[in-house]
Amino acid sequence: MPQVLVPTVCPYCGAGCQFFISVEKERATGIEYMPEHPASEGALCSKGNASLEVIYHQDRLRYPLKKTGDGWARISWDEAMDLIVRGLGGALKKFGPERVGFLSSSKCTNEENYLIEKMARCLGSKNIDNCARLCHAPSVVGLNRTLGAAGMTNPIPDLANSKCVFIIGSNLAENHAILSRWIHRAKDSGAVVIVADPRMTHTAWMADIFLQLKPGTDVALLDGLAHVIIKEGLIDRDYIAKWTRGYDELVEAVRDYSPEKVSEITGVPAEDIVRAARAYAISPASVILYSMGITQHSTGTDNVQAVANLALICGHLGKPGSGVMPLRGQNNVQGACDMGALAEFYPGYKKADDPGTAKFFSSGWNVSSLPVGRGLTATEMIDSAASGDIKAMYIVGEDPANSDPSSNHTRDALEKLDFLVVQDIFMTATVQLADVVLPAAVWAEKEGTYTSTERRVQWSQKAVSPPGEALSDLEIVCDVANHLGLDFDYPNAAAVLAEINRLVPQYGGITRPRLDGMGLIWPCPNEDHPGTPILHIGGFKLQDSRASIVPVQYRPAAEDASWDYPFVLTTGRVAVHHNAGSMTRRSPSLIERDPELFMEINTADAARLKIADGDEVLVTSPRGETSARARLTDKVKRGVVFMPFHFPGTNNLTSEVTDPEAKIPEFKVSACKISRRD
Amino acid sequence: MPVYVDISRCIGCRSCEVACKRVHGGKGHVNVHMAGDHASVPVFCHHCEEATCTMACFTGALYKDGERTAFDVEKCTGCGLCRLACPFGVVWSDKIAHKCDLCAGRETPTCILSCPANALSTDFELASRRARTRAAMAVAYGGRR
Repeated sequence: MPQVLVPTVCPYCGAGCQFFISVEKERATGIEYMPEHPASEGALCSKGNASLEVIYHQDRLRYPLKKTGDGWARISWDEAMDLIVRGLGGALKKFGPERVGFLSSSKCTNEENYLIEKMARCLGSKNIDNCARLCHAPSVVGLNRTLGAAGMTNPIPDLANSKCVFIIGSNLAENHAILSRWIHRAKDSGAVVIVADPRMTHTAWMADIFLQLKPGTDVALLDGLAHVIIKEGLIDRDYIAKWTRGYDELVEAVRDYSPEKVSEITGVPAEDIVRAARAYAISPASVILYSMGITQHSTGTDNVQAVANLALICGHLGKPGSGVMPLRGQNNVQGACDMGALAEFYPGYKKADDPGTAKFFSSGWNVSSLPVGRGLTATEMIDSAASGDIKAMYIVGEDPANSDPSSNHTRDALEKLDFLVVQDIFMTATVQLADVVLPAAVWAEKEGTYTSTERRVQWSQKAVSPPGEALSDLEIVCDVANHLGLDFDYPNAAAVLAEINRLVPQYGGITRPRLDGMGLIWPCPNEDHPGTPILHIGGFKLQDSRASIVPVQYRPAAEDASWDYPFVLTTGRVAVHHNAGSMTRRSPSLIERDPELFMEINTADAARLKIADGDEVLVTSPRGETSARARLTDKVKRGVVFMPFHFPGTNNLTSEVTDPEAKIPEFKVSACKISRRD
Repeated sequence: MPVYVDISRCIGCRSCEVACKRVHGGKGHVNVHMAGDHASVPVFCHHCEEATCTMACFTGALYKDGERTAFDVEKCTGCGLCRLACPFGVVWSDKIAHKCDLCAGRETPTCILSCPANALSTDFELASRRARTRAAMAVAYGGRR
């Protein structure tokens, strides 16, 4: 039987690795690597290697379902659409579009996200968001303000050209594993690697300088580095004069952040702060990589701005090996944001509160009017559902009941909705709460583009057909939109991409015929444009082409350890699981490697609480409690505990306090107490 | 020609484990061990020059084929002596023995292709060559600070 090799983009993290699925007799039978891929060079992490296990899993949703008194009943697509017209359409009519919410999916293609965004706006709703709210909303706000663009500034392979790699709040060795090959390559050519993290992570193994800071003290550390760099005159004066504004205010703002004072706040030895500052500043090309450890804080936007400030005063932007690199978590979270599945933006980061934006898209989409203004964010929609302001929701490929903070509150809120329709591949905790369930296709069962963390837009081909009556998200969204009275006539993803080319300037030249191969990096305004791997060469897309240095002051996290809750809980990921875990926890070769929720606790703390390695412990926060298996380790300092968020339970504990601007919850710092369960 | 590990590069991501298992019908031959909090080590078949597993195997199912320690499943009785004989604990058995075959039929072993950190190779000298380059470059750029 002939074997066909179909190129697809990995469905897990944002690194954008491609691989071939070998298809025999219309079945995906194996994976072949793609050594010519520019970012991964053919490598795949454990999750990518196990990705096919998801396709044929017995738990896949195969038919539309409706909730009945005692469980679920299989229904036809027609009946599902009738129910949606009555439920969602009814709520739109009865309560108005401002009381209906849409959550788009950073696992879906650009085309699908674009259509969900278009559907929500055309129905008159401003309430559309995606899970970027829970990961990189502060980067969107903070980097747009300081640098004028919110993506990774340089492509992944460019890391090899760096002479100083500063990683803060990212465990990329476990979560974006293929980046480590580029960092090691940089190291082999003389680069210094600095890692700042509350845990001695696998990423920290690469470090020459490891800064183990207390969770939530990132601004103090970054301001401390800026203080040393300014005091020792290691700044790039020409760059500051030519390309930035606001430097003098920064000098004033960081005056008090002496290494000694920062050491007191962060717990990092003062001499390490000085070493790190010198290494970052004097290297000819330095790059900062960051991730959730920077963003998931009530000071998330400040953290991001402090990162940008550091790069700006040293002139480490707009050249090979130098940049600011936010690492995106989902395979298409960059694309979902680009496509406007965010409360404050239309496609292409056109501001929603600008009447000109609504005008531009109403003529582009051929509709009479579109809503102007910022809608409710993902976290605000949940709160509004709880208070009864949001009456109906359409959730595509997201699991807020598991991934949002304070899970009990989220579940209560979703249960209060008059009508909830969820479109997914598995029966997740959120699907359990739905009135109508729509079965969707996984990445290998559909085609379309995904935008990786390096802004690389790649076409993923369809390898196999979806199970049962499941359909691609694109087909489902078009069907729903048409039933709700819109006119969505798109035969395939390429037709949607053609419209994106027309209406999203960054994607103007990223047309279907150009996407055979390794994709293009946006901005790519026209068909002759080669794409823009490195941003900010020759200035910024801000006033006078100058970047803004926005000084920030350290504010403590909303919660700290107290008499009643003596530990600080921080959360993160492990190598063999991904996000809320609905895929990886169903993947046999992954779940057997990390089968249950665990909690890392310092050996000295554990001894005091009489906890042994492997004991079951009860972890309690002001919001809820959960059980976990104790892992004794010296990776975390005393007073700090770590839990991965891939398992239900962790987010029973986490804090709902959000960043005032970006509205991201403070997943990374919550107070808790621990007792042995026996 | 066994697979060599550059321990300074291993990031404990377990890609090799899962990749090996994937191409060997669910029976993998690599084990990544966490060495405390500071390192991880993938443990492979060494394809020993004087392989004790081949000495223990009375049916000749395990035998030396050039540099490779090869395995003929047809001859295996599943006795498990090879498992006892292996000094590295990398041969295992259920009804038959399982061990690294260097991905027979493939040009390069899957674990090497899959390793995100480039920690694996068939080049014995690679790790020390890299260390020398690092040392030289560090001197050129003013030390590791």
